[in-house]
Amino acid sequence: MIAFDANMVVYILEIVIGGLFVGVGVHFVPVGGAPAAMAQATGVGTGTVQLAAGSGLTGLLSAGLMMSVTDNMLMIVISGAVGAMIMMDATMIVGNWVYIYGVGVPPVSAKTDYDPITKDPQPPYISPGTVGHGIPTVSYVSGTIGGLLGGAGGSLIYYSLMNINENPGLSGFFAIGIFVVNAVLASYNIQGTIEGFHDPKFKRVPKAIQACAAASLIIGIIAVLITGGV
Amino acid sequence: MSAAAGGGIPKIELKQLTIYGIIGGILGIYLTSYLNGALVTGYFAFLAGLGVIAAILMGSEAVRTVCAYGIGTGVPSIGLMAMGMGLVVSLFGLSIGGIAGPIIGVVLAMAFGYLIGLIANKVIKMNIPVMEVALMTLGGAGAITLIGLSVVISGGIDYQQILDTVINTGYIAVIFIAGTLAILHPFNANLGPDETQDRTLVHTISTGALAMFVAGLASLPFLGSGAGVLTMLIAAIIWIWSFMWYFKLVKRDASGVLGTGLLPPGGM
Repeated sequence: MIAFDANMVVYILEIVIGGLFVGVGVHFVPVGGAPAAMAQATGVGTGTVQLAAGSGLTGLLSAGLMMSVTDNMLMIVISGAVGAMIMMDATMIVGNWVYIYGVGVPPVSAKTDYDPITKDPQPPYISPGTVGHGIPTVSYVSGTIGGLLGGAGGSLIYYSLMNINENPGLSGFFAIGIFVVNAVLASYNIQGTIEGFHDPKFKRVPKAIQACAAASLIIGIIAVLITGGV
Repeated sequence: MSAAAGGGIPKIELKQLTIYGIIGGILGIYLTSYLNGALVTGYFAFLAGLGVIAAILMGSEAVRTVCAYGIGTGVPSIGLMAMGMGLVVSLFGLSIGGIAGPIIGVVLAMAFGYLIGLIANKVIKMNIPVMEVALMTLGGAGAITLIGLSVVISGGIDYQQILDTVINTGYIAVIFIAGTLAILHPFNANLGPDETQDRTLVHTISTGALAMFVAGLASLPFLGSGAGVLTMLIAAIIWIWSFMWYFKLVKRDASGVLGTGLLPPGGM
C-alpha cells in the first residue's frame, strides 16, 4: 500500500528534473519533419517524438546496462547521456550522407547568415524554394547536446523509479511514458520543427520549462506511489 | 500539416463515441475478469479485447478531432502521448485500486489528459479549442487500451498477475506500440481534404482488431492455447470483415480505382 516518506520527495524532484532535461533537450535536436524528408528544410527528416524516443530509448538501454554493475547515480546518468548522444550522432551523420551523396544538396541552415561555429556563409548554398537542407555543423553540435540532455533526463527518471519499485520492466516503461509526455509537450512548443539552438524558436524554451515542470510533477507523484510487486 | 487536414462533418459526435468507448472498455475488462474468475478459465479474455476496440475507436476520433486543427508535429506524437499518459496512470490505478483499479486508472488518466490539454493551451499557447477535451478522451482511451490488452494477456485485473505476465515478460512493449499504432494510424493514413469519418473509424476497427490479435498471441503461454487461439480467431474475423468494409469505403471515396495489370515483359 501507499507509504509516503522523505525519500519520495527526492525521487519526485529527480523525475521533475529528468522531465525538464527531456523537454529542454528536444529544443536542441534539429527536427525538420516532412519538409526535411524531401530535403526542403534543415534537420533530420522525421518528427520530434520519433527522434527523441530513438535517442531516449538508447539512453535507457545504456543506463540500464550501467545500472546492472553500479548504483552510482552519476555514472548511470552519464552512461545514458552518452548512449543517447551516440544514437543522435549516428542518425544525423547517416542522414547527412543521404542528403549529400543521395539527394545531392550541401548541408545548410536558413535561419542564420553565418554558421555560428564554422563561420561559413549560409545563404549562397540554399537551393531556391527551400528553407535549407541537410544537417549543418551548428545543427549537428546542437543535436549532440540535445541527445546529452534527453539521455541524461531519461536515465535520471529510470534511476529514481528503479530505487522505488526495483522492477526494471516497470521502471523502463514508466520512464518511456514520462519521457514521451515531456517530449510531445516540448515539440508542441516548437510547433514541430526547429534547427537547433541558433533557431529563433529556441527562445520559447522558458514556456517548455513551465509546461514540462507541471506535467512531470503530477506524473512523478503518481509514478512514485506505484509498487513493483513481490 | 495544414489546417485542412480533417475532413467533413462527423456523423457520430466525439462525446457519443467517448461514452460508448468508456462503457464498452470497462464492461469488457470487468466481464473478462469476473467470468474468467468465476468459471476458472481463460476463454473470456476476448471480451476485454472487444472493449479495447471500443476504446480505440474513441481515441481515434479524438485524434481526428484535434489533428484537424493542425498541431504541427504530425499525428503520431499525440497518439504516443495518449499511451504515455495512459501507461503510468493506468498501472497506478491497478496497483492501488484492487477491484476498482481499472475505473480509478481511467478516471485519473482522463483528469491528467485534461490537465495536459490545459497546459498546452494556457502555457504553450496552442489555442486549440478542443485540446482539453481531446486529450482527456485520449488519456482515457490510452488507459483502457493498456489495461484491456493487459487483461487479454493475463486473464484478470489482479495487479501482481499483470506484473508477472505483462510487465516482467516484456509484452508491455508489444501492447504499448500495438495500442499506440491502433489509435494514431487510422487518421494518419486517411487524413487529407477528402477524409471522411466513417472511413477513418472503420479503419480504426481493423487496427484495433490487429492489436487484439497481438495480445491474443501474447496470451498463449499464460491462458493456454485454447483461450489464446479463440481471441486470435475473433480478432482475425473482425479484421477481415472491417478491412473489406474499409476497402469498400475507399472505393466509394476514390475518384476511380483502376487495375494497372502486371508489368510488361522486360519491365522488371
